[in-house]
Amino acid sequence: METRRKFLTGILGALGAAIAGLTVYPVFKYLSPQATAGGKGRVTIPKNQVGVDQAHFFQFQGHPAVVLQKSPGVYIALSAVCTHLGCIVQWVPKKDEFLCPCHGGRYTIDGKVIAGPPPKPLPSIPVAMSGDNLLIG
Amino acid sequence: MTNHLTRSLFILAAVLCVQITGSGISRADTMEPVCIQCHSKQPGRLGAPVADWRTSVHAANGISCNNCHGGDPSDFAMAMSPDRGFLGAPKDTAIPAFCGRCHVGVEKDYLGSAHGRALGRGGPQCVTCHGNHAVQLATPDLINEKSCTRCHSFERARIIKAAMADTDRQISDLERSLAQLKTTGVVTDQMDGDLFSVRNQFHRLFHSVEVDKVRSQTAAFQADLKKIRDKVDAIHAEQQRRKTWGAVVIGLLIGCGILFMLLFHAYKAELPDNDS
Repeated sequence: METRRKFLTGILGALGAAIAGLTVYPVFKYLSPQATAGGKGRVTIPKNQVGVDQAHFFQFQGHPAVVLQKSPGVYIALSAVCTHLGCIVQWVPKKDEFLCPCHGGRYTIDGKVIAGPPPKPLPSIPVAMSGDNLLIG
Repeated sequence: MTNHLTRSLFILAAVLCVQITGSGISRADTMEPVCIQCHSKQPGRLGAPVADWRTSVHAANGISCNNCHGGDPSDFAMAMSPDRGFLGAPKDTAIPAFCGRCHVGVEKDYLGSAHGRALGRGGPQCVTCHGNHAVQLATPDLINEKSCTRCHSFERARIIKAAMADTDRQISDLERSLAQLKTTGVVTDQMDGDLFSVRNQFHRLFHSVEVDKVRSQTAAFQADLKKIRDKVDAIHAEQQRRKTWGAVVIGLLIGCGILFMLLFHAYKAELPDNDS
């Protein structure tokens, strides 16, 4: 009888440990930082690809983004995804503004909404300079 | 006692005031534009646009009369005043610019096309194919023999429609998949945006009415759609994995219950008999 009890208790302990593991793992996975965060998502773009008042479009963490040189040496990077329905905005140099070709949303060079249906500004992305390169993200 | 009563009355008055003001605001918010209030009661061609508009994709997305025709939707007297930006109905040749205030990209592609170049010389404009107030979400079904043969043979349009068919089917499938994912609580906003962007750009392609252009750009659109499909498939795989592991946990819990019961009986058998 003693052996039977030990055997059952052992199996019960093993099952309990398995259940505990299966419960803790999803919580651990949820709380862990995402793989795309941190330095992995950073994009390097040579400065000479971004002239004054020119826009350079690129992919940032799997989504379209744009970097501009507002004035000599001053760079700004923004998400190029319109905050209305997700279309990709275009840079209109003559007007110094972004235009969404889908429903006519317009944004300033800083991404603020000027007109049209977009509910929010274009999210900005940090830009740092390193020698001849721009480090974005 | 008097102070207590006064304070209670004051609180009651404040609550009532908030209720009344609040309901007043919500009534004002839900009030229809004066254009609709007035035109919906009118017979014939003056009232018909309201019924048409109510069935439209514009109405479904909160685009009201004044968003296209201008004017003041809150003031009966000034609703159709040019001083409040009222534009009225545009002439045929002005329709692309009228619709193009919002549909910027489509207008650009249309103006560069054979259709756009024939504007004012018998060529079609937006309303010719999409209709006006009852405008629906655009699908390739708009390209049909009945519609196209009003102006020319269907042959070329048939080729363009066939070139678009597969990609458009993929877009529709993805729209259904995302809608289904949403019902299971998955946040699909980013994928919805990506898909809308692809769909819009792809439908813009038709407005160029160039078969070669449609064919040459289709591969790029399909690659973009594949990226979204891969994300959807990854979510489906994750959901399936969760179901499997959920079933495993339930099985383990049932196993634990059985083991508890067996242990309970094992211990109970060793206890001295209560009756003795």
